[in-house]
Amino acid sequence: MIEISHVSKSFRRKSALNNVSLNIPKGKITGLLGPNGAGKTTLIRLMNLMYFPDDGFLKFNGQLLKKDHLKNIGYLPEERGLYPDFSVREQLTFFAKLRGLSNAEAESSANYWIEKLEMKAWSNKDVESLSKGMAQKVQFAVAVVHDPEFLILDEPLTGFDPINIDLIKNLLFEFRDAGKTILLSTHNMQRVQDMCSHIILLNKGEVVSASSISDLFKGYVSNHFVVRYKGTGIAFANALWTDFELVNQLELTDGITEARLLKRGEKSVDDLIKNLQGHVSIEAVHMEQPDMDDIFISLLEKMENE
Amino acid sequence: MKSILLISWKEIRQRVLNRSFVLSLILGPIFILTCVYLLVKAADEGKKNVHVLIADPGDILQGVISSKEDPNVQYSFVSDYLEIDEFSMGKPYQDYDALLEVNEKVLNNKKVFIFYRDYLSNRVQNSIRFTFERRIEEVLIEEFSDLTVDAFRQLKQPLNLDFRSIMNPTNSDEGEAGWVGYFFGSIIILFTLFYGMSILRGVAREKANRVVEVMVSIVSPPQLMMGKIIGVGAAALLQLVVSLVLILCGLYFFQEFLFSDFFLNQSLSGAQVSEGANELLQNEFQRVRNNEVIHLLYDRINLTLMLPFFFLFFLISYFFYGAFFSLIGAAMGSEGDGQVLILPLVLLLLFSLFAGYFMVLNPSSDFSSICQYIPFTAPMAVMVKLSMGYAMGEGYLLWISFLILLLSTFLILWIAGKVFKSSLLSFGHRLSLKSLFRWRNRT
Repeated sequence: MIEISHVSKSFRRKSALNNVSLNIPKGKITGLLGPNGAGKTTLIRLMNLMYFPDDGFLKFNGQLLKKDHLKNIGYLPEERGLYPDFSVREQLTFFAKLRGLSNAEAESSANYWIEKLEMKAWSNKDVESLSKGMAQKVQFAVAVVHDPEFLILDEPLTGFDPINIDLIKNLLFEFRDAGKTILLSTHNMQRVQDMCSHIILLNKGEVVSASSISDLFKGYVSNHFVVRYKGTGIAFANALWTDFELVNQLELTDGITEARLLKRGEKSVDDLIKNLQGHVSIEAVHMEQPDMDDIFISLLEKMENE
Repeated sequence: MKSILLISWKEIRQRVLNRSFVLSLILGPIFILTCVYLLVKAADEGKKNVHVLIADPGDILQGVISSKEDPNVQYSFVSDYLEIDEFSMGKPYQDYDALLEVNEKVLNNKKVFIFYRDYLSNRVQNSIRFTFERRIEEVLIEEFSDLTVDAFRQLKQPLNLDFRSIMNPTNSDEGEAGWVGYFFGSIIILFTLFYGMSILRGVAREKANRVVEVMVSIVSPPQLMMGKIIGVGAAALLQLVVSLVLILCGLYFFQEFLFSDFFLNQSLSGAQVSEGANELLQNEFQRVRNNEVIHLLYDRINLTLMLPFFFLFFLISYFFYGAFFSLIGAAMGSEGDGQVLILPLVLLLLFSLFAGYFMVLNPSSDFSSICQYIPFTAPMAVMVKLSMGYAMGEGYLLWISFLILLLSTFLILWIAGKVFKSSLLSFGHRLSLKSLFRWRNRT
């Protein structure tokens, strides 16, 4: 969908992006991650033609990215901005027309999104009189009102209550299922893990990682096991021998205890089960999955060390 | 182009639907018409009908004075000396507004005093002076000459060497006409300043509430800038046209209903004086009767010549200054920033006002000529020059001024577009001249 090839961008002498090459796959939700100053905003602005690269190029559906493509791109910036003296409806029709829709199309699309995002009761109110959450909804609607193929969303769920977070998440999944491409920039790792199939990790203007989430997790096997057992703590600790280290444990209901273990050496779940058999009654055992936070930090540390 | 029109329409809507715009649309013309009315009234202040008592103990005037030339001034005679206190306090004299004291030596010393109760308007003063001088003249002719009054006046008529411009053969007063041009130039400057600031505030506000980031993800910054300038300019033009129409309607109403007696006086006076009087006297008498403000407003403004050029130079001047205001707005780091660069721009606009004033007083100076070709002062200079009239064969100078201003406007719009593009997405910095140059060079 979007191909970024050897793109560099500097502001005066400060390099914001350095020889960045990556692909954003069509019909997927891709997470854009990186610490502050990593170059995420610059990359997003390049994709919106707000900036032009010093080197390299960007392609949209195989063509060099140009102004005509902007009508197929929707953008929700991190710093929200709307015309405070426009009503919700005026706001939506104005931006829809600016994106190239005819008057009738703009009206119809505005009505659709007002219904869809449950904004009808206050659709004629000026934006300045709305609460932050309501304004967030309007901002989201502005980004999608022209039915774009490619959506760039910078922290789209910030400021929403849990009900509206669910509403927007489901909408994004609907977009994805309809074949639309979504780039989701966020600092919330859990959200990336929940929603994205691919991630791009930037640091200091360079790509640290760009892959599918499953590929990313494959490379990061955890050293931790979680066991649920019935029996005494002493018997359990003795059974571990020197192969596993007890990190912590917590008593649950019905005499069940959950313990978190760190393996030593090349030990497997089978080894753990063998060790424990005959000492305690095993209710459940699994290898703990690494979370995005761990991977993020680990990748950045790896890059720093290199 | 569609994007520019959409942005322009948004700007127009935002302004036109604003309550202060609607108020200024109505109150502006009302204010100007009120000023005109007060100016006319001030020029014609004082009592309308004046009764003058002439104390003529030497019977020099022989109880005769022509009062028919001004029906608003009535004369009565008393053949005794009259003290000021007596006139002031005495019961029989309370109906008189002024005492004209004709002393016995008046034919030699030519000194006469007139004491008034309430201040007499210039028009009344001129009327009394004119009537009295004519009567004294008749007495002098009778006393010291064998000539008839008409023959004397024919002789007395001074040689009138009248310098007239070939562009202005009717000899309409150039200085007076210059003020008309100055008025039009001032309107251009004031509207440019007012709406230029409106552009600046608009851009700065959009930067502050970050809607600008959404906008430039859809349209290019130069499109956004042009849309803003055109939209705000259209609102300014709308206000200008509506104001002008309202003012012209108001002036017509004044002419028909409030100042009708002035226009009546003008025609009457001409008819009355023409009986036996020569052309010079007729003109002089007419001038005395005329109200200067009325004359300036209704006779001196050549609307068919001034209005097309006024709108042309208004538009280009607005774009020229508007580009400056928009680039300062885009370069501002916060809404309160940018004073350092607004001040020189405002000073340049004020300098234009000064240049226009200077040109009216010194139309032939080198400074006046130069001002026509400086884009910052050209709109004002051309308006003044146009109202005074270009010399024969020098009409092309107007088009040179126009061309220089037009090319400068294109240049400054191009530079402003570059700065606008580079600076629009910069936030939170302190604006300086250095940063403007840096942005100009950044692509």
